[in-house]
Amino acid sequence: MNTRLSKMAEDSDLMRNEDDLCLEDAEDVVVENGFGEEPNFSDPEDYIDDITDDELVGDLLKNKPKETDGFESVIVVDGIPQVGQERQEKLEKVIHKIYSKFGKIITEHYPKDENLKTKGYVFLEYSCPAHALEAVKMTNGYKLDKQHTFSVNLLTDFDKYENVCDDLEPPTPQPYVDHGNLWYWLEDPDCYDQYSVIYEGGAMSAVFLNSHPEPTPLRTRERWTESILVWSPLGTYLATFHQRGLALWGGEDFRQIMKFQHSRIQFIDFSPKENYLVTFSPEPDNRDDQQEIIIWDVRTGLKKRAFHADHLNEPTVWPMFKWSPNDKYFARMTQETLSIYETPSFGLLDKKSLKVAGMRNFSWSPSDNIIAYWVAEDKDVPARVTLIEIPSRRELRAKNLFNVADCKMHWQKCGDYLCVKVDRYSKSKKEKSEWKYSGLYYNFEIFHMREKQIPVDSVEIKEYITAFAWEPVGSKFAVIHGETPHISVSFYGIKGGGISFLKKFERKQFNHLFWSPNGQFIVLAGLRTMNGSLEFVDTSDFTVMAQSDHFMATDVEWDPTGRYVSSGVSHWAHKVDNGYWLWTFQGKIIRRHPMDGFCQMLWRPRPLTLLSEEKIKEIKKNLKKYSAQFEIKDRMSLSKASKELVEKRKKVMEDFRSYRERKREEFIKLKTQRLELRDGVDTDELDSHLENLEEETVEFFVKEELKVIEE
Amino acid sequence: MKPLLLHGHERAITQIKYNREGDLLFSCAKDHTPNVWFSLNGERLGTFNGHNGAVWGIDVNWDSTRVITGAADNTCRIWDLETGTEITTISTENAVRSCGFSYSGKQIMYTTDKSMGFESSVYVFDLEAGKQLLGEDSLMKAQSSGNKITSAIWGPLDEYIITGHENGDLVKWDVLTGNQIQRVQEHKGTINDLQHYKDQSMFITASKDKTAKLFDTATFEHLKTYKTERPVNSAAISPIRDHVVLGGGQEAMDVTTTSARAGKFDARFFHLVFEDEFGRVKDHFGPINSVAFHPDGKSYSSGGEDGYVRVHVFDPPYFDFLFEC
Repeated sequence: MNTRLSKMAEDSDLMRNEDDLCLEDAEDVVVENGFGEEPNFSDPEDYIDDITDDELVGDLLKNKPKETDGFESVIVVDGIPQVGQERQEKLEKVIHKIYSKFGKIITEHYPKDENLKTKGYVFLEYSCPAHALEAVKMTNGYKLDKQHTFSVNLLTDFDKYENVCDDLEPPTPQPYVDHGNLWYWLEDPDCYDQYSVIYEGGAMSAVFLNSHPEPTPLRTRERWTESILVWSPLGTYLATFHQRGLALWGGEDFRQIMKFQHSRIQFIDFSPKENYLVTFSPEPDNRDDQQEIIIWDVRTGLKKRAFHADHLNEPTVWPMFKWSPNDKYFARMTQETLSIYETPSFGLLDKKSLKVAGMRNFSWSPSDNIIAYWVAEDKDVPARVTLIEIPSRRELRAKNLFNVADCKMHWQKCGDYLCVKVDRYSKSKKEKSEWKYSGLYYNFEIFHMREKQIPVDSVEIKEYITAFAWEPVGSKFAVIHGETPHISVSFYGIKGGGISFLKKFERKQFNHLFWSPNGQFIVLAGLRTMNGSLEFVDTSDFTVMAQSDHFMATDVEWDPTGRYVSSGVSHWAHKVDNGYWLWTFQGKIIRRHPMDGFCQMLWRPRPLTLLSEEKIKEIKKNLKKYSAQFEIKDRMSLSKASKELVEKRKKVMEDFRSYRERKREEFIKLKTQRLELRDGVDTDELDSHLENLEEETVEFFVKEELKVIEE
Repeated sequence: MKPLLLHGHERAITQIKYNREGDLLFSCAKDHTPNVWFSLNGERLGTFNGHNGAVWGIDVNWDSTRVITGAADNTCRIWDLETGTEITTISTENAVRSCGFSYSGKQIMYTTDKSMGFESSVYVFDLEAGKQLLGEDSLMKAQSSGNKITSAIWGPLDEYIITGHENGDLVKWDVLTGNQIQRVQEHKGTINDLQHYKDQSMFITASKDKTAKLFDTATFEHLKTYKTERPVNSAAISPIRDHVVLGGGQEAMDVTTTSARAGKFDARFFHLVFEDEFGRVKDHFGPINSVAFHPDGKSYSSGGEDGYVRVHVFDPPYFDFLFEC
């Protein structure tokens, strides 16, 4: 490539020389047309002017055209077909047609070899640099035909690349900043979890330790974030939103670790292993020429790649980029094209996108580099769900589906199963370019990912589906179906390859399902419009452990260990009784935290356990032994707390008693004045003026009882 | 503890008060007729007929001979308790919000609302000066510029008047000069009610800012705060135990938009010193507008937006209950 470039540079020199030649010709013409009779004002041949041109016409010389002037308007198009003289005219026509779109072309120059064959590139000069720039932007990478792809540059680029300094100046490495132990919270001796809270309508934010018997505030800050708080998926960082960008906080005292400048960020998304961060701003700062979407390296804070969002044409769906579970790939869908990118190069995988006509949505398996996508129905072609392996793009499984109105993909958290919820119709009708469906019913297509050939099972439900949720660890799933007041919650399980119906709770008021992160336990919740009813169910035998409610609750969150559940009434949805409550996984209320303007409560996530499966089994087996120890510990901390409370109360009581004693003395001193005001009658106590009291007997009718006495 | 239900009013109760001995319970409401009841059995003793507007405040003097009422018909009236007849009517420029007898019972005060170009004001009259009794000349008049007086009580020994204001201010007025002696702002919202401790050395405020606070009467020192999730309309201090009772709930205008459960119309009991809530009495099906302890501390009453007055006699366990300390 380098030789090619230098060759082109030579040719461009050649073109300059040609220009020079032309100029000389012009001068000759002037001489020829001169007026011979005019007196000769010329200096003698040997006269040496002692005035320099600079002194004489310095101001004009400034405007003297320079060799490089006009170079900005010249572009080089490489990669055009090499043709002989006979076809050159045709080539010129084609090139002209493509490039005259961007502005007026002043000169075209096709360098030729000794056989008068074009060399495969061309110099084009536009009337102004803006046109040249536009032409480069629009046609670089233009595909003329299969063999010919243009690479277009500005002529000035050559100077830029030629003048690259030969001596590499190594960038100075940034000093290493020790952020301390970012995972310190995992070493908490009591295994308490942390959570973040936004309150006072967003003005205050805090991180608490869920300690017993009272939570401990770890860090409280005014205006910590301008919108929400977000924990990274493994809990290492806490992200805050600001006018100018995003900040990450972490370590023992929640110091700022990294800043990302991207003004007015609306959404963010961490990659699953926290290596990268995607930020989206619908209106980035134009001064810095920012783009709407930026992908950052979390550790270095460097911008890895930026994208434009095509949000004018399609509504913004977040996350725009979906990550593979190991951070190796990320993908984005735009108008029937699935673009998969690789890390750390951030280039398009195999340099090409996956084009699937009619593709509607896709998702990654949470455990493997597998993408599932679905294609809508088109006339006689059925809808289709396809699983492909990345990076090979090998199709693992495809399933055709008929009468499909919509599909939703739900992966089980371990990636063992994929459930595609299919909305199917009996009738469809086209109305104003939109399809209307009627007689909807629902199918669950369950893909058994871990079995050979990935077999698919199907469950049909006739009623409207409100919610679906996989047990995160295990093989059960729960469904809320039906319309009020006939809402039911059904549980299904996968056993020996087949799907079996397990349990149905009928006539319930629920619209959300929250599985414990460890499976087995589930919270059924009727949030917002359903007044906040909560039911805690053990799905091993489907006992309802507790029925309760948090009136008008808007959110329910499990802690990452599955020991606690929080419910909250957020100020964002409801203006009164804001606050959050903590429950045990069995539905016993632990504490109510009413909080003015409470907005959001988020548990700090934990990374996956490092313990081996055998070790976990062993711990489970010896649970009885451990639980005795923990109970002692809990009781001790409880009694310590109550002791502290009692001591505090004692002190407060003593203070108050001494205050009352003072007041009592003052009161006694003023007795004469009081007696004076009330004509000498002592009214200090109810019974201090006995002669004022009259004993009165009041009789009143209590009950009338009629009894017929036996004759 | 089954309450006595006093059903004599047709509209929302605005204030209830016991006389000094506690044998009588006075109530006034948005209907025009204040009532007086036997607190022991809930039997109605009589009514005070004459007002043509919602009655906002009622008080009785120490020897239970006179009753004063203030109403939205721009009058403040003084009644003979024994006969229920009107003794005098003082016409005012505006609706009367609160009224009361001084410690000696020889002076009265009332406060007026702000409207029609008149500022909210506090007035004091001497009942023994004949002219004043006709409302022609007041002993003292003081204006509260721009900031409406929403509740008022006498200080001890006829010396000053304490007013609570719309913006949460507490002001102490000199009865002789009409000057402001002291002003503090501890509340963030309207002060709906003020009530003394039995010896008048402390008083409790009830505010729309969802709290009730205990103050030292002489210094206005803020002593304690009792927090709830709803506007507090009224608060009272037990004469025998370290307890306070708070009444309130969702504002009356919002009640129809939420269920009774969300309204939180309970009477709530707090420990006077520890500020901890230890009990609730669920009873009214609207906000509680006024609460009062019986002077013997063995019962309390509440009057609600629902138009009922309820007299609750405490069960024995109430007297055995002790805070751990």
